[in-house]
Amino acid sequence: MLVIVCPACDLVHRVPAVPPLRSRCARCRAIIQRPAGGTLDTAIALCITALLLFILSNAYPLVAINFNGTTRAATLFDTTLGFYRQGHQALAAIVFTTTILGPLMQIAALLYLLVPLRGGRTAPAMGNVFRFLSHVRPWTLVEVFMLGSVVALVRVAKFAQVVPGVSLWSYALLMLALAAVAHYASPEQFWRWTEKRIA
Amino acid sequence: MSAALTGLKLGLLYCQQCHSTVRAGSIAYPRCPRCHAHLHRRKPHSLALTAALVACAAALYIPANLLPVMITRSLIDDEQDTIMSGVIVLLQSGSWPIAVLVFIASIVVPLLKILALAILVYTSWRGSQRHRLQRSELYRMVEFIGRWSMLDVYAVSLLVALVQIRSLALVSVGWGALCFASVVILTTVAARTFDERLVWDEV
Repeated sequence: MLVIVCPACDLVHRVPAVPPLRSRCARCRAIIQRPAGGTLDTAIALCITALLLFILSNAYPLVAINFNGTTRAATLFDTTLGFYRQGHQALAAIVFTTTILGPLMQIAALLYLLVPLRGGRTAPAMGNVFRFLSHVRPWTLVEVFMLGSVVALVRVAKFAQVVPGVSLWSYALLMLALAAVAHYASPEQFWRWTEKRIA
Repeated sequence: MSAALTGLKLGLLYCQQCHSTVRAGSIAYPRCPRCHAHLHRRKPHSLALTAALVACAAALYIPANLLPVMITRSLIDDEQDTIMSGVIVLLQSGSWPIAVLVFIASIVVPLLKILALAILVYTSWRGSQRHRLQRSELYRMVEFIGRWSMLDVYAVSLLVALVQIRSLALVSVGWGALCFASVVILTTVAARTFDERLVWDEV
């Protein structure tokens, strides 16, 4: 048995060390424990999948439009570049961080932490990288970008023909891969693996 | 409720980073033994910081809605779109599901987020004991839906990237978009600086 406090209301709970089910706080209903799901290899495989999808998303155009015979394609990075060229550097930085840098940092940091664990070692500066990861996570807005591009395409579709590119699909899959990564490599799970491997 | 046994009473600290419960020693500035994050009984200056950030967000919400987010220049006319006029254009062109989506994500959600955080800060500051469960759930909702407000900024970013055929039409960003993105970022940071445990603390 373990003694833990609820993250949302500080109520003290006595819980089993290995949770059989997801449990909620008796007072505020916040989730306080999640059962272990998936292995370290599952998490690493998902990270590599996400990395490959990330590369695809940046290498190919997102969409192309046909407008009176002229075709224009835009990549993911073009959305940042467009803002930058128009003198809105702050907006460009926001879009770049949340759509490209955020996902990349998240995948890279997780791989850096998880791969050494397979060999029973811990990565150098593990604590720092772990804390960096938890600061990056809220600034990854891949799913919001997906919905935003749907809105943009509906607007463009009125006067031009829209051709979806490879990147649009791979970015949608990246969104799913990142959600799976967040589920299988949660902070709780990461420390469970670490403690098991070191001990 | 006053009999509730909390970490505060037992001298237990919670690590916000790695989600572990740690016994507080007599050290002045304790760190998590597992991930070395700084530990606090409650997030430092939570109410003051959150109140300041929410006030900034509320002030920026006005230009975010009044200034154009997108300017479309063509041979025939110069069209300045605010968020609301963008919604109306979508509505008139018949894509009402998208119009409703943009309206909720860009206008309703930021406003609700600002109001909800203001209510949470005020009631926690007063030490109110009423509707604690509802306020706790309100906070969780704010955390969950807040990110979706960036929707319109991304829509504009893709339009700007696509429509740059100079002779026919040129789409450029307006200052409204920056105000709007700032509102989203400020409220997201405000939600993170707010310590939800304050809702339940006995004063």
